[in-house]
Amino acid sequence: MKILKIIALCIIVPGLLFGAVSCQTMQTSGPKATLQVIPAETFLSPALFKKPVTFKGTGFGPKEMITVEMILPPGMKMKGLAEGENVVGVALGETDDKGNFTAAMKPIATLNWFFQVGWTPLLKPNFKEARPIPPGVYKINATGLDTDRIASSTLKLVPPPKKKK
Amino acid sequence: MGKRSAIFLSIALAVCLSVAGLSSSSFAKEVVYLSLADYTGPIAGLNVPGDMGLEDIIKETNAKGGVDGVKIKFIGIDTRYDVARAVSAYKRYRRTPRLLVVNSISTGIGKAVARLIERDKRLQIVPGDGEFQAHIQRTFIWGPAYQDAFAATLDWIMDDWKAKGNSGTPVVGYLSWDNPYGREHLRGGKEYAAKLGIKFLPPEFFPPGTLKHDVYLTRLAKAGANYIHAGGVDPTPTNVIRDAYALGLTKNIQMTCDYWGPTALGIGVHAKALEGTVITSFYQRGDESKNNPFVANLWKKYRGSAKFNEVYGMGMSWGMTYVAGLKVALKAVGYDKLTPDDMYKAYQKLAGFDKHGIQGACAYSPTSRRGSLEVKIYRVKGGKSVPITGWRKAPDAVSLHKF
Repeated sequence: MKILKIIALCIIVPGLLFGAVSCQTMQTSGPKATLQVIPAETFLSPALFKKPVTFKGTGFGPKEMITVEMILPPGMKMKGLAEGENVVGVALGETDDKGNFTAAMKPIATLNWFFQVGWTPLLKPNFKEARPIPPGVYKINATGLDTDRIASSTLKLVPPPKKKK
Repeated sequence: MGKRSAIFLSIALAVCLSVAGLSSSSFAKEVVYLSLADYTGPIAGLNVPGDMGLEDIIKETNAKGGVDGVKIKFIGIDTRYDVARAVSAYKRYRRTPRLLVVNSISTGIGKAVARLIERDKRLQIVPGDGEFQAHIQRTFIWGPAYQDAFAATLDWIMDDWKAKGNSGTPVVGYLSWDNPYGREHLRGGKEYAAKLGIKFLPPEFFPPGTLKHDVYLTRLAKAGANYIHAGGVDPTPTNVIRDAYALGLTKNIQMTCDYWGPTALGIGVHAKALEGTVITSFYQRGDESKNNPFVANLWKKYRGSAKFNEVYGMGMSWGMTYVAGLKVALKAVGYDKLTPDDMYKAYQKLAGFDKHGIQGACAYSPTSRRGSLEVKIYRVKGGKSVPITGWRKAPDAVSLHKF
């Protein structure tokens, strides 16, 4: 019985301590935040510069800065990201008084993270060096930078339609 | 409590402490510097040598045992000049223990991150946004504000105009990137031009990445510009002046640039077109930087035969300031109690800190966010940036604008 108590002590106390150390990254309480990706499914094309991928969220704190991030699948490499880094910020928003936000991807984000272009010394995107990200379903997180509230959704990138002969 | 229970309790406690120790993942005394940089994006050409200088100061400091035994860890993030990526990266690192300083490489990134910096009671350094001098907070600029430097350029223009035997005041044109950086110079700079009686033409703004600048240049020339100030980060100003040269405008119009005007990067390619261009700088340029013994020794030690760019020296200045601030902060509170807020307090005590001639003495204080107060005017001569003035205090143009 004594041994059981001690074993329990050895497991529970470190667990509580570890929990206390890592709780700083946990989501705080509050209304459930939501995220909508518009469109939820698309393909890479120049049309994304005119009508960029947009993110709409609710349930965050009022007047809060929101970072919208794309989570890369394991092993996927991206220009500008260090080895092992699997998160890239793709948009930035600010909520209104009610905690709602809308944020569209800026052209530089579409160029850098979707098309993965190079840049010429003339500061022009170099599509010859582009390595467009592969089709797939990408998790998208929106995080409130004051409340730490997180909402998730997905963006499905499909192959571009085949050109008619 | 029995003897055996006491022993087991001690073991449990030891396990707990180990877990806590591992969680903080730090055994050595270490502080952190975060660079929200651009290594492969549009302004990589200048940011890469800048962070090389910074990293070399850190290497040198650590090689000598750190600051009072505290080592500096450098984290460089390639934002590719994207504000969304920079904010996301800051979010990732904002809870890093003893992350004392963040360097935001663009005016846009600096403005976005500033809010979080205030919340986290940290400090950041940014290029030259005068707004951070107008509203004193936790954001410090690398040198004088952009508008101060532009005002210093206008002073030089007035002197040059008179030296050429002209009466009255000249007509000045301005073209730059259509972004917060491009507009910042005029928030106080325009008021300073009015104060001098200069006829200031409606400014021209163009998107970064513009291939040809003929339309904007021609419009300014037709409006009677005697001087044209070309903004943007090199090689943009180099390309603007290349176009002005091709249009034959540089025969009669004096071209001027700001801190990010032609460096070794642009001059190496378009020396002929750039001949005569005047650059206002808060840091040493050209051979003056290359031959600064403090800069040259570090370059030789860590970079060897690589192609030198003067922005390397400016990056060293970021590192030297960090080391100086760390010394003050450690002296004030010691390592165990050190927080980012202590570094913020320390930076405000660095006024007068000498930067080995790379730039003017540090001007950070409770009422100043300027990294230094002086600028030097250079002219491109025979493919080199040559100083044509000594260090001179830049006018306070920030105070002329209502932010």
